[in-house]
Amino acid sequence: MKHQRHWLDALSRREAFARIARATLGVGLMPALSRQLDAAAVETPARAKNIIYVMMHGAMSHLDTFDPKPGREEQGETKPIQTKTPGILFGHTLEKLASLSDRLAIIRSLSTETGAHEQGRYLMRTSYPMINSIRHPAFGAWAVHGMGKISRDLPGYVLVGNGNEHPGAGFLDPALTPVPVADPTKGLENTTRPRYLSAENFDRRLALANRIDRDFKERYAGQQLDAYNQLYKDAIRLMGSVDLQAFDIAREKPEVRERYGDSQVGLGCLLARRLVESGVRCVEVEFGGWDMHRDVFEEMDEKGRQLDRAVGTLLEDLEDRGLLASTLVVLATEFGRTPRINENAGRDHHPGVFSCVLAGAGVQGGAVFGASDERGFRPDKDPVSVADFNTTIAAACGLPFDKEFHAPNGRPFKIGGGGTPIAAVLA
Amino acid sequence: MQRVIACLLVVAAALAVEAAPATKAARAAKRAEKNSGQPGARLPAAVLEAPASPVMQVASVDRARRPVVEAAARQIDSLLEQHWHEHGVAGSEPLSDAQFVRRIHLELAGQIPTFDDTMRFLDSKSPSKRADLIDELLESSDYVSHTYNFWADILRLCERPQKDLFFEPYLDWVKRSIADNRPYDQWVHELLTADGKVWENPAVGFQLRDKGMPLPYVDNTVRVFLGTQIGCAQCHDHPFDSWTQHQFYELAALTSGTRMRLEGAVGKKKGMTKEEAKEAALAARQANTETFRQVRQIVVEANQQIRDKKVDQGLRQFINANLTSVNYHDAKLLLPHDYRYDDAQPLAAVAPRVLWGEIPTAAAGKDGREQFAAWLTSRENRQFARTIANRMWRKVMGVGLVEPVDDFREGNPASNPELLEHLTDLMLSLDFDLREFIRVIVSTNAYQRRAVLHDPTSATPFRFTGPALKRMTAEQLWDSILVLVAHNEWAFQRPTVEAYAARAEGHLTAPGTSYNDVEQAYERFNQAFSKKRYLTRLHKNYGYQGQVLVRASELPTPLPLGHFLRQFGQSDRESIEGGRTVATVPQILSMFNGPITHSMLVPGSALHDEVMSHDSQQAVDVVFLSILSHRPSAEDRSFAIQEIRSAETPTAGIGNLVWALLNTREFIFIQ
Repeated sequence: MKHQRHWLDALSRREAFARIARATLGVGLMPALSRQLDAAAVETPARAKNIIYVMMHGAMSHLDTFDPKPGREEQGETKPIQTKTPGILFGHTLEKLASLSDRLAIIRSLSTETGAHEQGRYLMRTSYPMINSIRHPAFGAWAVHGMGKISRDLPGYVLVGNGNEHPGAGFLDPALTPVPVADPTKGLENTTRPRYLSAENFDRRLALANRIDRDFKERYAGQQLDAYNQLYKDAIRLMGSVDLQAFDIAREKPEVRERYGDSQVGLGCLLARRLVESGVRCVEVEFGGWDMHRDVFEEMDEKGRQLDRAVGTLLEDLEDRGLLASTLVVLATEFGRTPRINENAGRDHHPGVFSCVLAGAGVQGGAVFGASDERGFRPDKDPVSVADFNTTIAAACGLPFDKEFHAPNGRPFKIGGGGTPIAAVLA
Repeated sequence: MQRVIACLLVVAAALAVEAAPATKAARAAKRAEKNSGQPGARLPAAVLEAPASPVMQVASVDRARRPVVEAAARQIDSLLEQHWHEHGVAGSEPLSDAQFVRRIHLELAGQIPTFDDTMRFLDSKSPSKRADLIDELLESSDYVSHTYNFWADILRLCERPQKDLFFEPYLDWVKRSIADNRPYDQWVHELLTADGKVWENPAVGFQLRDKGMPLPYVDNTVRVFLGTQIGCAQCHDHPFDSWTQHQFYELAALTSGTRMRLEGAVGKKKGMTKEEAKEAALAARQANTETFRQVRQIVVEANQQIRDKKVDQGLRQFINANLTSVNYHDAKLLLPHDYRYDDAQPLAAVAPRVLWGEIPTAAAGKDGREQFAAWLTSRENRQFARTIANRMWRKVMGVGLVEPVDDFREGNPASNPELLEHLTDLMLSLDFDLREFIRVIVSTNAYQRRAVLHDPTSATPFRFTGPALKRMTAEQLWDSILVLVAHNEWAFQRPTVEAYAARAEGHLTAPGTSYNDVEQAYERFNQAFSKKRYLTRLHKNYGYQGQVLVRASELPTPLPLGHFLRQFGQSDRESIEGGRTVATVPQILSMFNGPITHSMLVPGSALHDEVMSHDSQQAVDVVFLSILSHRPSAEDRSFAIQEIRSAETPTAGIGNLVWALLNTREFIFIQ
């Protein structure tokens, strides 16, 4: 069973949990604990058990990364380079990824209708357009909903970045909300009690709070409060868990950090690898700074190289640890950027066509699907919708993408948004 | 009692010492404290004493208008009651005084009341005490701070939206406009038409916020002030609404002549004879050539110095900021080269036109940008008044009559159209006095009822049988905690326009300015405003365990992601209304174990001193009144006393009680 390559096998994990549970929380949680472990022990037919989803905040230019147009005026200063896959070119900042192209499945014919950042991210993450009357779950929430948590103490879903506008659990159980980690170097903060505070005293405080709060909670019972009530439980469970060290990238050797690069995305990917290794089902890493309306080639020089180093190293590292066979890595963006270079030497928003990349578990390496036209303006071959893309991810995870789920308001939704999986990129 | 107090002090001191600073900022603050000879983990001296004089001038509220305000409130109530009757629902129960005093402080001052505020209100026998308190709060600096946070979220206010945009003067100007209670329509008109450098005319900040992005600027402006989303039409006809790409360009053509670079002198003036104009133009051209040469020399020299590492990169930004100045000359806007509809050719010039209605006749002869601003803010343009009426209604009642407040369109009707039109009329009759508008809404019975749950996904519209239950915003939570910690929450305010201008102006175009003059000006500027020095000063003077104990409105923004305010959902100030109030695990961990929760137990904190100044018998009531603004029920009181008695020490017991109250849902939700 692949997921058992963790440093604790299922049995010793169970013992470890039991010990912690007795030490800090009493034995009351034991039944829930064994349920969790049993769920995790069931082998699922899918190959991807974990997902690392890297989101290019601000919208990544396709021409300067995964879909260059050699010889075109639109290409500007980015030089297309040869990848390991014959005939496939990348922008010159993606050297490492070019050498790993046989692990990647590149989709070059995505397009959407929205050129607004927040709406673009929302659509990518949830497969549905942002509307007022409902909040849709992000893919990670569906994944944990469908596949369950792996570690009992650690969250199922972690977001390295800003939780503010993330759709999170949407209409699913608030417990599926990703736990945001603002700064990968700090990990999850405030997880230990102040030293003067004994465990007993902490419990007393909680009991006191619950008692004083009972009327208020009763009066306003509903989703808003439930979200907090649930997360109080999660927070308490996290405190004192030995698995917390998964959040601490300082435990990595300096040379490992060096390989990933000292950037937001590098440290984020390193943290993601640690978390996946320790039993977090899905990690999203936000990578900001792609909104290159000005000086796109200067900016690409920085961001493109950071991306290359971080994701390239992540793939190698996962592979070295035998985790790539069970981890799906997704590289997604809000939309693309205009082929035309504007008067500020930048590129503007372009939802007309753009590229995303899949790698690892469940994915056919070296595949390229779809194509944009000669200028990188519109899909030219095999257009792919966001729903198709996300349904492909769902398929790679073995999630039931055809099944209808009903939101509390009765409306039906599908994981991946009811698209058609792209068979050509699935292993 | 004495023993209790002594213990409290000891435990508090122990608390403070033992909570080791975890962050880099905390370590820096600790170092700073060490250098200044202060022992670590004490509250900064600046926050220990209440300010002696008022912290800012705020326009006073007209008490004589109270009957008018109350009559307006009754009209809204009767409309709502009729609406409830039609839908077979009833208003929730009226707020008690204790609930009112807390809610109204959070609503108008952006924070919970102090112990004294609460006691004074509860003890008052005056029949007009609610109206008195409303008026008093509306003319407080707290109202200004809270309203600033509200607008900062909408206008994406931050100090450096781009490296070379210095926005401090604009931020101060927004704050002052609120303090002066400027009519909203005039204020917006100024935002849309201001010219000059940001420290000469800070209102230019609004146009500069989207510098280099003239089309998104139009989209954002229409979205914020007209509640209408035309952004999709920037690239293609709107998929669900009636806006075409052509219409978007027609509107954008009105402001397409806006320039953001310092321009040369203009010689010609209206009324000159042909000869005079010719001479003036020639003179201006000569002067401009001279100025241009001077500026170019300075820039070339600066680049050289930066390359030689004799001066840092910041100089380039300083120079660019000095060359950034908004001005306007009518200019043609062309359709995009890939325009694909039949009504026009790609790259055809677009004739300017507004989205609906007419450009007011008073602006007919003026330039495009003036016409745009006149049309947008006109009383005849009812959507302008409707948008702000709906926005302010949502601010107070928690839910807009149209939601989202920036997405008015045919398929998204108001939940109570009659009320929305009534509120629009009210806004117009108040001549866009937003503060007076709020004064009316908080005076309604509907507002002064207990909060009700709102489910945005429900098929039934919200009926406003009371305000919607809200979690405190990040800023409300921060400022409320500050009430419990600091005697002086106003120890620091962001720099004023004048203070900033005195340092930021490099006089690049003044005759005879040399590179050396500019470098010296830059050094002077840096002394006060380099990010590093600025932050070091803040931490040194107002820091506690890595947190700067000043009002949220005065803190630098955007704050780092891990900051308490960001954890609780403060906006990154990149997206319009990016603030959120959703729950996350780090928030809870922060309330459990973070330094902020413990700052109020330190000697000299407002809460600590309040508990100390009372008899130990009253400690439980004081803690309840300070944190939850009400006395405990008899049952909770005896339970709390029991708890304190059975704790290791009485102080540990009080500490437990404080912690417990802060970690209730009742504390962070507004009922």
